[in-house]
Amino acid sequence: MIRIRGLRKVFPPDKLALAGVDLDIAAGEFVMIIGQSGAGKTTLLRCLNRLVEPTAGEVMLNGSQVTGASSEGLRSARRQIGIIFQQFNLVKRASVLENVLAGRLGHVPGLPSLVGRFPRRDRELALATLRVVGLEEFASRRADTLSGGEQQRVAIARALAQEPKVILADEPTASLDPKLTESIMGILQRINVERRLTLVVSQHMLETALTYGTRIVGLREGRVVFDGPPGAITPDVVEDIYEGGVR
Amino acid sequence: MSRGIRRAGLTLAILVVYVWFLAATEVSLPRFLRGLPWMADFLRRMVPPDLSVLRSALTGALQTFQIAVVGTTVAALLALPLGFLSARNVVPASVFYPARALLNLFRSIDTMVYALFFVAAVGLGPFPGILAVVTYTVMTLAKLYSEAIEGIEPGPVEAISATGATRLQVLRFGILPQVLPLFASYVLYRLETNIRAATILGFVGAGGIGFYIQTYLRMINYPAASAVLLVLVAMVMGVDFASSRLRARIV
Repeated sequence: MIRIRGLRKVFPPDKLALAGVDLDIAAGEFVMIIGQSGAGKTTLLRCLNRLVEPTAGEVMLNGSQVTGASSEGLRSARRQIGIIFQQFNLVKRASVLENVLAGRLGHVPGLPSLVGRFPRRDRELALATLRVVGLEEFASRRADTLSGGEQQRVAIARALAQEPKVILADEPTASLDPKLTESIMGILQRINVERRLTLVVSQHMLETALTYGTRIVGLREGRVVFDGPPGAITPDVVEDIYEGGVR
Repeated sequence: MSRGIRRAGLTLAILVVYVWFLAATEVSLPRFLRGLPWMADFLRRMVPPDLSVLRSALTGALQTFQIAVVGTTVAALLALPLGFLSARNVVPASVFYPARALLNLFRSIDTMVYALFFVAAVGLGPFPGILAVVTYTVMTLAKLYSEAIEGIEPGPVEAISATGATRLQVLRFGILPQVLPLFASYVLYRLETNIRAATILGFVGAGGIGFYIQTYLRMINYPAASAVLLVLVAMVMGVDFASSRLRARIV
């Protein structure tokens, strides 16, 4: 599903974030990316949909190039990749439903969308995804009136509304307390199991990563230092990923 | 030690320059005091206001209001593209710098000067007044718009781009919802200032209530002039009140 080869990212002037990453992610996997802050987790995720432009290497999604794609090709790739952020990144002054409808922008006719008109099917889909995250009754509320956990659920609904093949999540629970972390990760797990959606999630909490992931990828200094099932994580592996700094 | 001397020297230099400015502008307290009785006389001759000119005062006030409203709304729309073209986070530097320079150039000239220019170009009446208001307001609003655009949160914009939306869709769904309430507030604020600016447009023949104020003052008909001024004050206060109430609700 996702094929990553020799992925490098150097932030100017010379900060090496990814030092050559090779990964193959199969459909239906729930991949947890772990590592210290600064290990390259966020950069790796953002290179997959080119919110960050890789310096070298290639990313392929279902056999088509993401890296080096034209702007049209990139938009087509992005349609298939939902993304969830640590800071939710909702448009605060817009309603919950408008935020979720934004997930349909890559699919709906362009001109009518610019005046706020969406086909009935897309509106229903947006409402249906709100139902999946249990926020249907909040549809007409302004996004910034919701709590952090609720905003992240709206962000999940927006990603689902894209009907993506993959969902990326960059530290989706780092701004939330432990109880909400469980709720958000639970929703992601349900999506993974019920919809067979591929998930790639960065997670700084080792416990959480091991509980929910079906595959763990450990990054250190921009390199993959571990790749295997949660059961294969031993104290030595943890030591290696976190360089002794236990998290 | 030397720092203290430098500071004292700088203070002295500023004082010298300031005294020079006072002298150059012929500032004189005795002269002001000698003028006080004349001011009092001027004010005394203004009462009671001559309410028989109320009709023309209202006609003039309405026209000033119309100039300000039409001028501000046209400018609000024209400033949109210009605002985006002079926002650092929307366009490349090659567009941004020329656009900003253009704004600053035209913004340094006041509405009144534009009015003189347009009266000469298209003749007397409210139309050159509107052109003057539009020209100045486009520049000020574009500057305010661009600053609002530069202050948006990048996160939601990034999230919308990540859905595979086009640039226009990102603009419409990521940027506009963040800036439109601010834009509306700026437009209302400009409307308030434009009402005041439009009152003196009549002095140079560009329509509105200013024409009546100037005419009555020239005819030494102070009671009539004061009646017109009363209407003006009422209108400005009314618009300020309504507009600030609206602005408080928007943001």
